[in-house]
Amino acid sequence: MSSPLLRVENLNKAFGKVVTARDLNFTVEAGVLTSIIGPNGAGKSTLINVLSGLLPADSGHVYFQGEEITHLPTHRRVRLGLCRSFQVVNVFPHLTVFENVEIPVLAQMRKAAHLFRPVAREKAVGQRVMEVLERTNLAGQANGTASALSHGDQRLLEVGIALAAKPSLLFLDEPTAGMNPVERVDILRHIRRLSASGETTFVIVEHDMDIVFSLSDRVMVLNRGDIICDGGPDHVKGDRQVRECYLGEEVVA
Amino acid sequence: MLQSIVHVCLAGLSQGMFIWLVASGLTLIFGVLGVLNFAHGAFYMLGAYFCYTVLASLGDNFWLGLIFGPLFVCAVGYFVERYFLRYVYHLDLPYQLLLTFAFVLIFDDLVKIVWGAGSIGSPTVPGLGGSVSILGRMFPTYSLFIIAVGPLVALGLWAALERTWAGRVIRAASSDREMAAALGAKVPLIFTGVFVFGTWLGALGGGLAVPYVGLLTPGMGEAVIIEAFVVAVIGGLGSLKGAFLGALIIGLLSSFGTRFLPTFDMFLTFILMALVLLWRPQGFFGEASR
Amino acid sequence: MNSKGTHAIYLAIILGLAVLGLVADRFVLYMGMRVMLLAIFAMGYNLLLGRTGLLSFGHGALYATGAYGMALVNLHLTPDPLLGILAGVALATACSLIVGFFCVRHTEIYFAMLTLAFGMMIFSLIWNLRELTGGDDGLVGISRGSVLGLPIAKDGQFYFLVLFFFALTLWLIHRLRGSAFGLILAGIRENNQRTSFAGIPVKSYRLAAFVISGVFAGLAGSLGAMLESNTDPFSAHWSHSAEPILVSLIGGLQTFSGPLVGSVIFVVLREIIQRFTQNWMLWFGVILLAIIMGMRGGVMGGLEKRLKRGPAPAGKGEGS
Repeated sequence: MSSPLLRVENLNKAFGKVVTARDLNFTVEAGVLTSIIGPNGAGKSTLINVLSGLLPADSGHVYFQGEEITHLPTHRRVRLGLCRSFQVVNVFPHLTVFENVEIPVLAQMRKAAHLFRPVAREKAVGQRVMEVLERTNLAGQANGTASALSHGDQRLLEVGIALAAKPSLLFLDEPTAGMNPVERVDILRHIRRLSASGETTFVIVEHDMDIVFSLSDRVMVLNRGDIICDGGPDHVKGDRQVRECYLGEEVVA
Repeated sequence: MLQSIVHVCLAGLSQGMFIWLVASGLTLIFGVLGVLNFAHGAFYMLGAYFCYTVLASLGDNFWLGLIFGPLFVCAVGYFVERYFLRYVYHLDLPYQLLLTFAFVLIFDDLVKIVWGAGSIGSPTVPGLGGSVSILGRMFPTYSLFIIAVGPLVALGLWAALERTWAGRVIRAASSDREMAAALGAKVPLIFTGVFVFGTWLGALGGGLAVPYVGLLTPGMGEAVIIEAFVVAVIGGLGSLKGAFLGALIIGLLSSFGTRFLPTFDMFLTFILMALVLLWRPQGFFGEASR
Repeated sequence: MNSKGTHAIYLAIILGLAVLGLVADRFVLYMGMRVMLLAIFAMGYNLLLGRTGLLSFGHGALYATGAYGMALVNLHLTPDPLLGILAGVALATACSLIVGFFCVRHTEIYFAMLTLAFGMMIFSLIWNLRELTGGDDGLVGISRGSVLGLPIAKDGQFYFLVLFFFALTLWLIHRLRGSAFGLILAGIRENNQRTSFAGIPVKSYRLAAFVISGVFAGLAGSLGAMLESNTDPFSAHWSHSAEPILVSLIGGLQTFSGPLVGSVIFVVLREIIQRFTQNWMLWFGVILLAIIMGMRGGVMGGLEKRLKRGPAPAGKGEGS
C-alpha cells in the first residue's frame, strides 16, 4: 500500500485560548520510528490524546491506513490497529500480569464477548499472551499481581498491554518517565528490538533528548501547537529554531 | 382560576423552600467532602425529634426547641464524621454510600426505641399557627414563614462562604484538597467542621419541619432524603446555588403535579432528575469537570 | 482451591438442599426458599457491583418488574408457572435494556443517581397505576399451577422449582465469572479507560452486565411473587436494592460464594434477631458498619485470605 500509515490534515485543537494544535499537517510512514519532542506545553500529549481518540479534535481530519478515523471512538481505533500507552502507569492493578495482557488479546482475537466459555480454555489466547509477555520480558511474573511489579516492569507491562492489541501504529507517551537509568536503557533496548521486528510502527513522545536522538529515524519538534522542525535526528539537532526554543529548557547534545 | 394558581404556586414555594432547607446541608457536605450522605435524612429526623423533646420539656416553647434541638444532632454528626466517615474517604464510592446508609438503619431504629414506633403529633407555633386569607382563600401562616426562612438561610450561607475567612478556607479545601493541605489548612478539621455544620442545617430543617409536616414518625427522613437528592442532582451536585434553584423547581413541579396530574406527580420528579443527569450531569450550576 | 474441588462443594450444596427439601418442615422450607431467592438476586447483582464496580439503586425496581410481569400473566392469561416466569424475566430484561441504555453513559455517583431515578419512576408507576398493578395493595391471588404435569402448589413441591432455578443461577454465574466476558468486566472495574484502549467497547459491556443482573433480579422477583402468592409494591422502592448490596458485602464483594453465604447469614440472622427484638434494622446497621470499617473483604474474602496465609490480591476471587 502506498498511502501512509497515518495522515493528519489541518488538525486543530485548543483549550480556550491555549492552542495545542494549530493547523497540523503531517504523515507517519510505516516502519519509521518517529519521535515527537518539544518544550512543556508544546501540545505533544494533547496531540496523542486527539489521535488516539481520548479527546475530540476541534477541526481537521485524521486518516489511518487511508480510512478516516477522526470521529471514531477509542476502541474502534484500537481494533483498526492504532494503540497507545500512557505517561503514568495505567494498568489493571489488582489483576495478574497475565490477565492484564489477556484483556487486549481477547479483544484483538474477537473472543471478548464469550459469555459462558471458560477463558482458561482459550488456548490460542493463552499462547498469544505468553508470546507478548516473553517479548516484554515479563513471562516469569505472569501469575503475579500487576501492582506488585517494580515501576520499570509496570512500564513494560504498559507497553505489553498496548502491543497485545497487535497495533500497526503505537504511540508511546513518555515511556521512560519515572524510570531509573538502568530501567531506561532496558526499555529502550526493548523498543528498538520491537520496532526492528517490523510489526509495529512506533511514535514516541519524549523529554529525554539522548533517547530521542539515539533511537529515532525521524524527529518532529512541536512548539505551542506548531511543527517547527521535522526530519532526521541530525537535521533537527542542527536546526537553529529548535535550539532557540529549547534554550534554558534543556541543552541539546 | 387565578386564586387556584396563586395557591398552588405558594404551596410549591413553601414545599421548595422546605426541601432546600434539607438539601442545603446535603449539598454543602457533598461539595466539600465529596460524600453523598444518606444519613442526612436521619439527621433531619433526629433534628425534628430533638426539637420536639426540647420544646416539650421547656414549656412548649418552639423557638427554644429550634435553637437547642439541632445542637444535640451536631454532636451526633461530629461522632459520625470523626470516628467513622473520616476513615472511608479514600475508599470506593459504594463503601462511602453504604457507611452513611448504615447510620440510616441505626438511627431509624434508635428513634423507635427512644421515642416509640408510633407517630407524635406536633404542637403549633404561637403566632404562626393560624391561616391568612390570600385572594379569599386561607393559606397556613407557617408555610409563609417557611417561604421567608428559605432565602434567609441561602443568604446566610452565601455570606458565610463568600465573605468570611472560614468560607474561603472551605472553598479552597473543596476545590483542591492537596493544595489546601499544602497551604497549611487543616483539612481533616475543616471536613469535620463542614460535616457538623451541614448536619446542623439538616437538623434545623427537621426542627422547622415539626409544625410543617405536623407528625413525627421514625423513617420520616427517608422520603425527604430522596427529594433532597433529586434537588441536589438537578442543581448540580455540590452547588448551593443550583440546589436552591432545584428546590424551587421541584417544589413547584410537585405542587402543580399534585394539583393537575396526581397520578404522575412522583414520576415527573424523577423523570426530571433523569433528564438533567443525562443532558447535563453537572446540573444547572455544577462545574463541568466531567 | 482447585476447580474440581469447588465443583464438588457446590454439587454437595445442591444435593444437600435437595435432601433438605424432602425432609424439612414447612418453616425450614420457607426459609430455604427465601435464602435461595435472595441468593439469585444477589449473585446477579454482584456481577454488576463486585465485578464491574457499578452501584445500582434500580435493581429493586427490576426485581419488581419480574414479580409484576409474572403476576399479570398469571392472573390474566395463564396459570402456567413457567410461562409466568418467562414473562416476568422478559419484562425485567426489557426494562433493564431501556434503563441500562441510559444509565451506562455515566459511572460512579452519576450512574447510581440515574439508576435511582429510573428505579423510582418504575416504583411510581407501580404505585399509581392502580387498575393495572393494584397500587399499594399489590396484586394478590397468584396461583402456582403445575410444571410439566407435576403440581407445585404446596411449598414442599414448589421448593424444587426454586432449587432448580437456584442451581441454574449458580452454574450460569460461575461460568460468567470465569469467561472472557467476566474478565473484561473485572478490567472495566479496575481501569475503565485502559479497557477501552484495549479495544473493548466499554459501554456495551457495562450494559450487558446491567442487563444480565437485571435478568436475575427479574427471575428472583417472579419466583418471589409465586412464593408469597402476591406482589409487593415496596419491592420496587430504591431501598429494596440495599438488600443484595448488603448481602454481597456481608459475604464478600470479590468472591463467587460471597452473595450466597451472605444470603444465608442475612436471612437466618434476621430471623434470629426478630425473635428477640423488633429492631433488627439497628443490628444490620451495626453489622454493615463493622464490615465497612473492619472487614471489607466480607466473610468469604476474609476466609480466603486466611486459607492462603498471605495478602490475597484484592481484586481476585476464587473465580476459576
